[in-house]
Amino acid sequence: MTKLYRRYGRKRSVGTLKSALLSGVGARALSPDDAVSALSGVSFEVARGESVGVIGANGSGKSTLLKLLAGIHRPTSGEVVVAGRVAALLELGAGFHPEISGRENIEITGLLLGLTRREIASRFDAIVRFAELEEFLDAPVKTYSSGMAVRLGFSIAAHSDPDVLLVDEVLAVGDEAFSRRCLEKFEEFGRAGKTLLFVSHDLPLVAERCRRALWLDGGRLVADGPALETVARYRDGVAEREGRKRIAAADAAPPSPRIGSGRARVTAVRALDSAGAPSGRFRSGEPFALQMEVEAAEPLADFVFGFAVSTVSGVVVFGCNTAIDGFAAEEFAGSARVALAIPALDLAPGVYTVDAAVHARDETPYDYRRDLLRFEVTADRGTAGTWSPRRAWRFEGGIRWKG
Amino acid sequence: MSPSERELPGHTRPLATVSALPAPLMPLARLGRQRALVFALARRELLARYRGGVLGFFWSLLNPLLLLLVYATVFRLVFEPRADVRPYALFLFGGVLVWSFVSAALLDASETFRANGPLLKKTTVSPEVFPAVAVGARLAHLVLALPVLVAATAVAGALGSVHPTASFLAFPLILALLAAAVLGMALAVSSLAVHFGDVRDLLGNLLTLTFFLTPILYPLEAVPERYRLLLRVNPFVPFFAALHDSVFFFRPVPPGAWGAMAAVALLSLAVGAALFERLRDAIAEEA
Repeated sequence: MTKLYRRYGRKRSVGTLKSALLSGVGARALSPDDAVSALSGVSFEVARGESVGVIGANGSGKSTLLKLLAGIHRPTSGEVVVAGRVAALLELGAGFHPEISGRENIEITGLLLGLTRREIASRFDAIVRFAELEEFLDAPVKTYSSGMAVRLGFSIAAHSDPDVLLVDEVLAVGDEAFSRRCLEKFEEFGRAGKTLLFVSHDLPLVAERCRRALWLDGGRLVADGPALETVARYRDGVAEREGRKRIAAADAAPPSPRIGSGRARVTAVRALDSAGAPSGRFRSGEPFALQMEVEAAEPLADFVFGFAVSTVSGVVVFGCNTAIDGFAAEEFAGSARVALAIPALDLAPGVYTVDAAVHARDETPYDYRRDLLRFEVTADRGTAGTWSPRRAWRFEGGIRWKG
Repeated sequence: MSPSERELPGHTRPLATVSALPAPLMPLARLGRQRALVFALARRELLARYRGGVLGFFWSLLNPLLLLLVYATVFRLVFEPRADVRPYALFLFGGVLVWSFVSAALLDASETFRANGPLLKKTTVSPEVFPAVAVGARLAHLVLALPVLVAATAVAGALGSVHPTASFLAFPLILALLAAAVLGMALAVSSLAVHFGDVRDLLGNLLTLTFFLTPILYPLEAVPERYRLLLRVNPFVPFFAALHDSVFFFRPVPPGAWGAMAAVALLSLAVGAALFERLRDAIAEEA
């Protein structure tokens, strides 16, 4: 805690959140002793300005946790203390009435989120602009596409200026551009010192966006720590469980989007560490290599091999192929192995995805596989952005540093 | 608790703290805080209901007007009403308008949590807002229909069938007390409906029965003296007797009747709020 106080300077820990809860849901009057425990003995604190991911399998209690934090449900025992205004994005556009206009729905949704009339009026234009709905403001919401309704719902919630924002898997709804803008908005929240709790099944996203993550399993808090670590432990846990489940079942490669004629195929992709061993985790700045195994169904005279590395939110950070780097194709037959060595992996800490492709010179794909591999990059200090180059500061003139 | 938690006055809203009010009255305090939302939702209810139709808000005048015409025709040509309640169509109209507010508000309240399930489950709105919206929207309906009653009374006055006096000024206060009583009942009905599936059916039957046990079709004086005590158990009796005094007979509402109405309103609010508070936790979970 003391670390966090210092990190966030003057404001210190104005928002502490503490909950110890034990909740029984589903007890009806007819069968009072038939109670289901959704969460038991969960207790944690979140300091102001933290971004915390909540991960876990379906039914592990993630949504219940958010509902308790939001005050929608009350804990059966224990207490929830939240300092400041809470906004819960459990469902975008909940509360929209189809028959009335977007304008009137903005007002009502704003009031539902705890804004006053005056606050709504002053933010109205910003809400409409972010949702890009200027022209449709006076049309009834039933005439909106689902994308428009979701944009409007998010925009209102994002402008409700909460101190604590609870988000439940809403990013799964919109299109990619919209998801990205949501993420940008979350980042803004973080910079403004707001607290974010984020339920998601998108583990790389949690690893990338949150410093800390909670792992719930069967209503219990089984891990609480740095996001990368918690995500890794969760993955290991799931893998172990899955592994036990399908001893006999054929181990199929995880399905990934794939296009192409199949005249040649990418059969495997690996990320290799400095020793040349396959790994899923790398230190920023260390040697790194990508390797693919390929097979040609028939001898080919026109072929290009390529790799692309992207962030999990879809931004390409690096893409290159053998044509760009000046290799002229002569013949590719049978099976082969292609490796791209990178002397220093200058990426910021986070999770990245790898696309691998073999295609013709005119970019007709033989086999193009997206998101075939994911790897994590770690570092002692987090930097902003995705590029984390080897660096040195130089100072001239009247600047002095302690120590 | 660190001292810094107190650094932002008016900013901190712990969810689990006690307030100055006794717990059973908390629903009323929360309603007071959320009145802007109650108004906005009631307005939305009205807007949504009328927007679909071509005539819009004219429906709110047209329906009672048609009702009045039917009464006027039937009771002039078919039935012969008592001498003390002529013109009977006007007598009946005031009572039926107000009763339809009572019964529609309570029936709406019995379904409100089911109808607003998504809001309850997905937003942090206080559940007491919804029964209040049901009452508010139906009250607005009634108020929108009042011009028809006023016009009909003015016409009857001009024809010499009734003799309007300043006693009609009591009407808004009667209506306010009745609305408070109905709000208390709506809180009770809505929270009970979450736990018991048959509340709406029971309520429908109870309302039909109460309609005949309340001076709406007949004036209180028409009830034989020895049965009048029985009517005392019906909380709506003082309101409708006062209503007739105020806008039909145009005589002052007796002080005892004011006392009875105020007592019913306060008792209803207190009991309704206390019951709601007891059942509140289950509302968001079960609705």
